[in-house]
Amino acid sequence: MKTPYVKRHVTAFWFFIAPCLILFSVFFLLPLCLSVGLSLTNYDGWKTMDFIGLHNYTELVRDSKFYDALGRTFGYTLFSLPFKVIVPLLIAILVTSKRVAIKGLARTMVYVPSLLSHLVVGITINWMFSAEYGLVNYLIGTIGGEPMQWALNPRLATFVISFASNWASTGFYMVIFIGGITNISSDIYEAAAIDGSSPVQTFFHMTLPMLAPTTFLVTLLSTVNLLKEYALVQGITQGGPGLNTTFIIQFIFDKGFNQMQYGYASAISLLVMIIFAFIAFVQFKISNGGDK
Amino acid sequence: MKKVSIIALVVLLLGSMVFAAGAKEEATQGPKALKVMLSEEPSSEDALLNTLKDWAAETGNTIDVMVIPYEDQLTKFPLMARNNDLPDLISTTRLTRLYPDEFIDLGKEFDMSIFEPMAVEIIVQDYKSDKKANLPQQFTITNVYYNKDAFNRVGLVAPTVDNPWTFEELVKNAKLLKEKGGVKYGMAMDSSRARYDNLMYANGGSMVEKDGDSFVVTINSPQNIATLEAFIEWNNSFMPKAIWAGGSTDNPADYFRNGDVGIYFSGTWNYNTFYNEIKGMNWGVMPSPVGPAGPSAILGGSGLGVPANAKNKDLAIDFLKWFYTKENFQTYLNRDKGLSSLVGVTYSPADQQVAKDYKVLQSEVSKVSHAFSVDESSMWRNFYDNEYRDAMRQAVNGDISAAKALNDFAELLSKKSGWPLKY
Repeated sequence: MKTPYVKRHVTAFWFFIAPCLILFSVFFLLPLCLSVGLSLTNYDGWKTMDFIGLHNYTELVRDSKFYDALGRTFGYTLFSLPFKVIVPLLIAILVTSKRVAIKGLARTMVYVPSLLSHLVVGITINWMFSAEYGLVNYLIGTIGGEPMQWALNPRLATFVISFASNWASTGFYMVIFIGGITNISSDIYEAAAIDGSSPVQTFFHMTLPMLAPTTFLVTLLSTVNLLKEYALVQGITQGGPGLNTTFIIQFIFDKGFNQMQYGYASAISLLVMIIFAFIAFVQFKISNGGDK
Repeated sequence: MKKVSIIALVVLLLGSMVFAAGAKEEATQGPKALKVMLSEEPSSEDALLNTLKDWAAETGNTIDVMVIPYEDQLTKFPLMARNNDLPDLISTTRLTRLYPDEFIDLGKEFDMSIFEPMAVEIIVQDYKSDKKANLPQQFTITNVYYNKDAFNRVGLVAPTVDNPWTFEELVKNAKLLKEKGGVKYGMAMDSSRARYDNLMYANGGSMVEKDGDSFVVTINSPQNIATLEAFIEWNNSFMPKAIWAGGSTDNPADYFRNGDVGIYFSGTWNYNTFYNEIKGMNWGVMPSPVGPAGPSAILGGSGLGVPANAKNKDLAIDFLKWFYTKENFQTYLNRDKGLSSLVGVTYSPADQQVAKDYKVLQSEVSKVSHAFSVDESSMWRNFYDNEYRDAMRQAVNGDISAAKALNDFAELLSKKSGWPLKY
């Protein structure tokens, strides 16, 4: 039999988690359930909605364009991920160093692109990398070089998106790393200095291991964001040249909102969600959640 | 005293109700706001917007313009329809075709014989019923612009309506312009299926063919594969390849405006903008080239539809009745500098050069092919429009062959539409 104290405790517990539970249910569980339901129909976003069982899933496993888009997404993620983690880490080390001046200004300037919408980032990057009237090709031309085919070469097009994505997110991840670095006790560094550790040794044998939880967080967030890259692709290459930068989220969007195959798009979304969750799980297991 | 208070309160309430009813009556008879949906942000020169303003000034009503970009309409329109939140008047190229049930039948309100029959066929698209879900507003056609300065540099004379170029001449001259005309590209074409389809029709191809009451898919015919192969070669040789291969958000109209293109395949909707904005070079309009199967031009345009659940649909109909009087439509047409969709109303430009160009544009209307009309009547675009675009992009980029692109797309179209393959 529950005592009044326990009852009050249980009631308080539900009051505390209620806001989060309600938001999570409305914005995640409910759409997830709807998505599962829609994936079993031929819903066209308007009036057609017949139950078709697992037809969408059987179509999906035979759809070579799905595998192509997924493969491109993984390739792009693997290519971009090291830069997403290493560049903010190095900048964070720089802007927390005692030897660097105007740290406040430097931090602000690195962080500003994070405040821009992806649309603005896309416009800016197009201004820089446009094959015809872009700044970069203009500069290459002034030194006598041949203009780069940013929009025609799949690798260059992927590089431009990756560059834009890194530029826009470096400030955010830098702030996370700065938080991690400032949490490391200065006593440890003093002890290392007394023991004769060089700055490079200190970085690799002390700073990096102690930043493991932060690095794990940045890696996880970066991976998920890279796998979900959409707005930048639309703003810069629109999936081209050909379909070479059409990643999985664009593929889903195209099926759902352009071709009005909402049922099929829901089936892809569910499968992709499972794949992404599995990747996050593997990352978690490999790094032990960032714990030593 | 209590009774007096109660009587006074009752009188006050009754008085308030009478006053409120009167005010309501007055509100329904007074000025109203017409909510209009456009697909792009109108400029200060926009013909429809200025005509709406004229109507508002004349009738004392007001207009409330909302813009939902073309690419967002398919996601937002169904939601607005479900929430009974549609505007009173919609200027659209496809919503009335995709969601005809959401619009009123304007054929019951208007005498359709006042419109050009071709405009009604192409814009209203009443292929499956007699319902007229919209009325033709802007009537457009594909056409060809040229850079006069570049032509002069190589001593090239623009073709005439009576003596248009063949495709062989077009290719030869585009190469010449690129080599010696001082332009970066001999030719450019909007990244639009309709522009490419003109090549297909002029070469004797089509998307589908009529088969009794249904259709057969012919998009992968030998002549269509040959057309796409030639188009890929053009892109590799003298066209800005990135436009058709994807990978760039550039608009080839900007290349033309900057003087980087010799011959530009676009449409009449650009004429007014070019007329107002191109000051740094001389340009003109030339007739489209002729292929082995004859010439080809594609008509299109937007219509005005009234949603069935619109709050002020009577006001929208009032506007349309005002708009389609000869006098008001003439004013609109003079601003639009486009083709007329109203019988007996034509644009008569005062500027000699514009008048000359207008004759060339008007001559394109007779080039609309039967194959295009059959393709439109099949409404194939309701199935796999984007897949077709993707197939073209991959082929132009060299990722797949022309034959594979068209064969794969033909299979998809056949599967989705239920129409058999001919090839």
